Amino acid sequence: MLSFDNVTTVHPTPQGEIRSLDRLNLEVKPGEFVVLRGPSGCGKTTLLLTAGGMLRPTSGTVRLEGRDLYALGERERNRLRGQTLGFVFQMFHLLPYLDVEENIQLAAMPRNLLGTAPNPRALELLQLLGLETRRHHRPTALSAGERQRTAIARALLNRPRLVLADEPTGNLDPANASEVFRLLRGYHESGGTLLLVTHGTAADALADRVLEMHAGAISSRATRPATGSSPAVSPA
Amino acid sequence: MSLARLVLKELAHRKLNALLSAMGIVTAVALFVAFFTTADASNRETTRLMRDLGFNLRIIPRATDMEQFWTDGYSAHTMAEDTVRQLASAERVFLVFNHLVATLQERVTVGDQEVILTGLARAITAPAQQQQPMGFAIEPGTVYLGFHVAQRLRLKAGDAVHLGSMPFTVARCLAESGTDDDIRVFGWLPDVQRFLNRPGRINEIKAIDCLCLTSDQDALAVSRAELDKFLPEAKVVQLRTLADARARQRQTVERYAAFLTPCLLTAAAAWIGVLAVLNVRERRLEIGILRALGYGSMPIAGLFLARAILLGVAGAVAGYALGSALAIHFGPGIFQMTAKSIRLLPSLFLGSLLTAPAFAAMAGFIPAVLAVNQDPAETLREV
Repeated sequence: MLSFDNVTTVHPTPQGEIRSLDRLNLEVKPGEFVVLRGPSGCGKTTLLLTAGGMLRPTSGTVRLEGRDLYALGERERNRLRGQTLGFVFQMFHLLPYLDVEENIQLAAMPRNLLGTAPNPRALELLQLLGLETRRHHRPTALSAGERQRTAIARALLNRPRLVLADEPTGNLDPANASEVFRLLRGYHESGGTLLLVTHGTAADALADRVLEMHAGAISSRATRPATGSSPAVSPA
Repeated sequence: MSLARLVLKELAHRKLNALLSAMGIVTAVALFVAFFTTADASNRETTRLMRDLGFNLRIIPRATDMEQFWTDGYSAHTMAEDTVRQLASAERVFLVFNHLVATLQERVTVGDQEVILTGLARAITAPAQQQQPMGFAIEPGTVYLGFHVAQRLRLKAGDAVHLGSMPFTVARCLAESGTDDDIRVFGWLPDVQRFLNRPGRINEIKAIDCLCLTSDQDALAVSRAELDKFLPEAKVVQLRTLADARARQRQTVERYAAFLTPCLLTAAAAWIGVLAVLNVRERRLEIGILRALGYGSMPIAGLFLARAILLGVAGAVAGYALGSALAIHFGPGIFQMTAKSIRLLPSLFLGSLLTAPAFAAMAGFIPAVLAVNQDPAETLREV
């Protein structure tokens, strides 16, 4: 589904170069739920944006469904991103001037700029995520949990084959975090592939694999035990 | 959800930026509309005033002795009456001359009074102009008497008068003009030609120059050059005082326009451009989100350009209304003209509606390019 082959990303700054990803190798198989764990600044978000075709690496190859993501033209990469991927961010990133339903429908717009055919799945997701009563509310009128559920609905609207989630529960209380994990697990159980980056351990129990990231590289690897408890981290 | 709805919702959300951007367009359009509406009204009023003052171009036979011409007030030489039709049928002649009137003038004695007998043909105007012909429309067998002639001969409208043996009816006694018109007797051209025994001859074509020339063109030089082409057997004399007043008025308007237009355009473009850049900066995260959702460069640039165009349309409509109101309210005081000569110009509305959105889109082009080239990863990583 997704593979990183010796990927390095270097950012020049006035204080010198920052190596966000350092000869990183990773493979996520179709239908897999992978948690990538690591401290702040270890390169998790860079990895996710690179996987999403939004940040060209300095070297190495990123493949999505077997296609070299950065060998594609910009238009093709945008199309692939819109059809194959769903993003969930820690800060929700909803447009403040759109209501819940419109924020969800926003994901359908690249293929329907005139808005002639609203995606009917939006209503389905509103029900599934318990947002029907909030349908016409703007993000400022929503709780943090509702905002993240809206963001998840937006990410799932186009039935993506891979969801990239960046600290999706980072701003939520435990109850809302559980709800978000429940939804993500539901997506995974229905056959979706999930790559979730986090600095916590709350998602470990749900993952097929847990990877530890440090200084731009995957330093160790853990596999979820059959009991469903938090997996032990082992060397990569 | 459509692109248009997204633009409208964003405009409603960021009201201040939208309002300030629209204000820039409204101000520019309003000033243009106010200026050109009043300038047009002023021009129209000057044209009317100039017409009221009379013809300012005199086309006379080339052989005319100018000393004799100025002493007698008319040329002693004649040319064929057909000359005026020949001139009128020449291509583009009405871009230079207007209201062509064939005349035949000569001093004669009526009773014990020496008068200038003046035969007038109907004025010829450009077919497309549909203008009311200037000058008198004298019926056969009738005459118009100048003020002094009527006084001295004690004649009034309806009286009979004889020119030699030919009887005429006085159709009208003219008011005092303070010119040699006061000692003229105006008649139908064929009647005067018959009386003077000069059938088919005229000695002057009266005309007025058009207002079509730009300020850097010398109207007399252009008239002479055109006349040389159309009518080499004639020459043209211009009454400078009238012509100069008209040229000065036109030049003033053109100078104002030449100064005002680039100043306004630059100021408005800078204003709209800066606000559009601020809008792009404010929406950096939004652009990142849209990129993450698979939006390409075209839809993102389209968001910003559509926003600019929409503001341009709104600015054009509001600016036209405001500009027209300003012209009606302040125009007469600034341009020294009567308020009733101000007419709303639909062509300006159409022009505003087409140019303001195009202008706003051009001003918003660089910000749109900035939006498209913005690195979404950088924004999404920051927050």
